[in-house]
Amino acid sequence: MEKLNDLRFIIGFFFTLVGAMLVVLAFALNYEIAVGKTLNLYAGLAMLGFGGLMLWLTGRD
Amino acid sequence: MHLDLHWPDYLIILLYFAFVVGVGWLVKKKVKTSSDYLLSGRSIPLWITSLAFISANLGAQEVIGMSASGAKYGLMTSHFYWIGAVPAMVFLGLMMMPFYYGSRARSVPEYLKLRFDEKTRSLNAMTFAAMTVFSSGISLYVLARLFELILGWDFDLSVLTAAAIVAAYIFTGGLTSAVYNEVLQFFLIVLGIAPVVVIGLWQAGGWDGITSKLAPVMTSTWAHTGSAEANPMGITTWGLMAGSLCSSFGYWCTDFLVVQRAMIARNLNDSQRTPIIAAVPKMLMPIIVIVPGLIAMALPYFIQDYALPTANDGSPDYNMALPSLIAHYYPTGLLGVGLTALLASFMSGMAGNVTAFNSVWTYDIYQPYFKKNAPDSHYLMVGKMTTIVGIAASVGVAYMAVSFNNINDFLQVVFSFVNAPLFATFLLGMFWRRTTGHGAFAGLLAGTLAAALVHGFTIAEGKGGWLTSNPLEIASGIAQAYHIAWVAFVANLVVTWLVSLATKPMPQESLSGLVHGLWTDGVPPKATAEVWWKRPALLALVVMVVAVILNLIFW
Repeated sequence: MEKLNDLRFIIGFFFTLVGAMLVVLAFALNYEIAVGKTLNLYAGLAMLGFGGLMLWLTGRD
Repeated sequence: MHLDLHWPDYLIILLYFAFVVGVGWLVKKKVKTSSDYLLSGRSIPLWITSLAFISANLGAQEVIGMSASGAKYGLMTSHFYWIGAVPAMVFLGLMMMPFYYGSRARSVPEYLKLRFDEKTRSLNAMTFAAMTVFSSGISLYVLARLFELILGWDFDLSVLTAAAIVAAYIFTGGLTSAVYNEVLQFFLIVLGIAPVVVIGLWQAGGWDGITSKLAPVMTSTWAHTGSAEANPMGITTWGLMAGSLCSSFGYWCTDFLVVQRAMIARNLNDSQRTPIIAAVPKMLMPIIVIVPGLIAMALPYFIQDYALPTANDGSPDYNMALPSLIAHYYPTGLLGVGLTALLASFMSGMAGNVTAFNSVWTYDIYQPYFKKNAPDSHYLMVGKMTTIVGIAASVGVAYMAVSFNNINDFLQVVFSFVNAPLFATFLLGMFWRRTTGHGAFAGLLAGTLAAALVHGFTIAEGKGGWLTSNPLEIASGIAQAYHIAWVAFVANLVVTWLVSLATKPMPQESLSGLVHGLWTDGVPPKATAEVWWKRPALLALVVMVVAVILNLIFW
């Protein structure tokens, strides 16, 4: 419960979820423009990385 | 411009709603006293107060408005940051937080009560409370209008949903909940808008590509300020510096909405470093909020299928610079993130206003005028009720804005009259012990009157000039606002000085800890830092050097 109250955990959890969704969508959708897939993929990976960093910081303490 | 959302976009928006409400529920058990609810028990870690400090300002005006200004005025818009906000935040941290935090005042108006008198506090508290409710309501109105325009969402549904969500997380978790959500919103805004900047710059051939296509005045900060005719803002170096400094210092150093985030830090050192650390992301914020405007102007030179939308009269609709780029680039999924970022900016601005409103109402209006010595549980209940009343009033303002098209412009102008002179009152109050309550009160009124006079005798983009049939023409609204700011500041300074000299000095013992040189224990409060790199002064120096370098690079 203490971890849940840690803002880093909340932010990390949110961005990990959203990042994972974008990565899955990058491969699951058909795109009208090619750059769409790239955008979802790279933005998703960036958010996954940021979310993971926040979760790691929470776990480290 | 119309966007079609799909289920993944809605899922991301719903996920965000669930998280912000969940944050309120999670921090609910921390709220036991009115201080917990309205001041977060002064227990918030530094990194959170710092990010909340800038996020409380990351509302609609910042995100949509600055990208619009970027498209209209170019990189000169960054003056709001590099010679405006950043020096003001450094000044607040170094010079003013020792008084705000050291006096243990619970709000900015309460500092005015301690330093001057009840009437000065009341004037500031009443105008501030009114401004926060109107700002919050206008934020709600703009959000609902934007989403009606680009998504076809029902206006009532947008207003009521956004208001209900903000109410849910502030009512349960108070200021802590608002501050936690502001940090989440900050990251969402940055990460949600950054892809527009990356892909836009890439397609426009980078910064070099943009500078090769746009007029030089659009990509420089100072080079074209020698004369008002040479730049789209229509302002000279002097007007820019004086106006930008007066308006930015007036906002960042005295507006309780932002100062509150520094006042809830755990100790004096943290409260001083809050605005200084916040100045670091603040000076990089033009990348997220101004560069998209420049991209929107340059992109049509590089690709065929993008153009900045036009308004009904055929002129470029600068306000649509950022939304149109999001619409152009973002696929399903990332579109949900981008729209959530816009939603977050509106909700963040609204929540900041509501939390500042409930503190000022409870501590500076209700407690002194309605019920002085009630138990703490009573003020906690009043704080919670004020949250609901504040949000209901904001909804009312949003609907009022529907009926009166010009209310937004009108209120912005009135707010500028009130805000512009405030910094002079604090400057004299904190650094000149001879300043009296009568002087401060008269100075505030004189500054507001001077601001109204400048607006009445000048006209810019069709606004102002209501006091004469032959008003002085000013090239842009921003230039007019800058001139109002510095004239109001000077008027307040002079009148406060004169009236203070003509009235009875305040007893020195009543000023202890509130004025420079009259310290509580005979020595200045010193922020203790266990290591040298945590000293506010050193941090401030580094921030200012970087700000100067940015000005030089983009000269």
